[in-house]
Amino acid sequence: MTVDTKLETPIDAQSLNQAVLEPATLRLPAVIPPVPFPIETLVPDTRQQTPAVGQRATRPDGRLHGLGQTKYIDDIAFPGMLHAKIKRAGVASARIVRVDTSAAEAMPGVMAVLTGREIPVNSFGPSFQDQPVLADERVFHAGDGVAAVAAVTEQIALDAIDKIKVEYEPLPAVFDPVEAMQERAPRVHGPNSNIYATKVIKRGDPDRGFAASAHVFERQFRTQMVEHVPLEPHATIADWDANGRVTLWSTLGRITLGRTDIARTLKMPVNRIRVVGTIVGGNFGGKNEITQEPVLALLSKKTGRPVKGVFSRREEFISTTTRHPFIMDYKTGVDKEGRIIARKVRLVLDGGAYCSWSETTLGKACILAPGPYNIDNVHVEAFVVYTNKTMTGAMRGFGAPQVCFAYESHMDDIAAALGIDPLEIRLRNAFGEGSISPTGQVLHSVVVRDSLLKAAERFGWREGRP
Amino acid sequence: MSSVTMKVNGETRTATVAPETTLLKLLREQFNLTGAKLGCDVGDCGACTVMVDGQAVNACLMLADQASGRDVLTIEGLATRDRLHPLQQAFEVHAALQCGFCGPGVIMSAKALLDENPDPSVQEINDALAGNLCRCTGYTKMVAAIQDVARSRNAGSAKLPAPRNVR
Repeated sequence: MTVDTKLETPIDAQSLNQAVLEPATLRLPAVIPPVPFPIETLVPDTRQQTPAVGQRATRPDGRLHGLGQTKYIDDIAFPGMLHAKIKRAGVASARIVRVDTSAAEAMPGVMAVLTGREIPVNSFGPSFQDQPVLADERVFHAGDGVAAVAAVTEQIALDAIDKIKVEYEPLPAVFDPVEAMQERAPRVHGPNSNIYATKVIKRGDPDRGFAASAHVFERQFRTQMVEHVPLEPHATIADWDANGRVTLWSTLGRITLGRTDIARTLKMPVNRIRVVGTIVGGNFGGKNEITQEPVLALLSKKTGRPVKGVFSRREEFISTTTRHPFIMDYKTGVDKEGRIIARKVRLVLDGGAYCSWSETTLGKACILAPGPYNIDNVHVEAFVVYTNKTMTGAMRGFGAPQVCFAYESHMDDIAAALGIDPLEIRLRNAFGEGSISPTGQVLHSVVVRDSLLKAAERFGWREGRP
Repeated sequence: MSSVTMKVNGETRTATVAPETTLLKLLREQFNLTGAKLGCDVGDCGACTVMVDGQAVNACLMLADQASGRDVLTIEGLATRDRLHPLQQAFEVHAALQCGFCGPGVIMSAKALLDENPDPSVQEINDALAGNLCRCTGYTKMVAAIQDVARSRNAGSAKLPAPRNVR
């Protein structure tokens, strides 16, 4: 392929690399060599390789990371900036009778205290608005914030939240998702049922499939709650200015979505809110929704000063989203050769106290639950339920890793019981070109078999395990 | 409040600190050296790793007062105005960092290792990085970058091998 750059001095990628990487010519901070104008956009012909493929690329932010010069939120400070801390409930389910902030407010260095009742619209969430910014009447899980303090130092803010007295009236709580599905279980967000989203996928006739099967296998699989643990905790700086506009420097991964949620809770138009997304020190799905942003904005409004909030590692675990624990019941009917005739799956997702991204996770888990296998008779039903635990939300894969663990373990069980090689049973059942997924999608560019065979060859599957 | 004096990246610095102030807080908030990060504040993650008298330490576990009179080296002290430290260069070439939050700590741990052991095995590198958690990379490229630096030093050349094309 010929690419005519039509530039007066064409850029030679090799020399550009040299100029950037050669230590002797480096002046810090580095400046990218000037690009001659006009820049022509190169559009390669269809099915021709782009010039970028095969070239060595370095990360544009790699050098700053190595130098320690990358500015994460906690590396930024403004004149007069205050530090905020949030008091966590510590009880899983309770009615808030009284919040006494007077001792905290009297402390020298404490500039403002905020409770849930002062938040204009105290609910948010990416799909259901079921989550309070700070709990005002009810505590739904132990990590709920109940009050916040802005003080001149972090230490004073920490001391001040200890002095806030909250009186609770304990309420019954439910922690097991299967128990939560029962009629008599305590309602987390009463009076509604704890089951807040369901999904069913049907194809063929599984019952007839099981009747026609040579063998039927059943097993339950469970996965646990997982926290993302990004190395950088959630952090935000809020600055409410005298014009009534608020700027938030935040670790939010989805700033436009977050801005809509912030606008709702502050009851102000989005055009008065500016969210600056900076370099994020690890997201993994855990920074896709707002956490303390409205609290910091309101503390900044109260004090007239910028307010920074950085979660402690403990807060990361107890009050931010986690990966859904799954309870997965699998029932699979196969013929004598191990070909799957029918599969029934029941998924129960522990949603924790709030919906967050549970609907998305539920949908993806359902679609992927039967696995990448040709099955004519499929029935998948799934429920996501409220419990009085840390809420679950987006985390890499949106439910895919959980069901993958289950259906692949199940395949191994079947292979072992029938005395078939685990690779062979997968090759017999795997999707091929033109296969139809349980939701009716016709699949193209399917390389499951090729990938399995290549992987088996590379790590010596046929030779056996040591 | 007490007064502490220490050498930081070759310069003598003095500060007045409250007794509970950690070395990390002193470096970040009073000396404005924000390269070392606060990840967990309990010594688990290693994002705050700096060198004190030639040894890698978790700055969040050391009080500022304990570092008084000692020689502290942070990530900001590695590069000169003209030149990256070989480790920083190798980490850049290998794209060994992704979100980068753990990077300064990892590089300081690696430097402490190479200062003591110029030819470490993969196991020794893994051991040296055991106190530095990274959630993005899986460590493979970090280990390769550290090996590269060790090799080029032992070959007597300060220059690292030019990046190869990705295959």
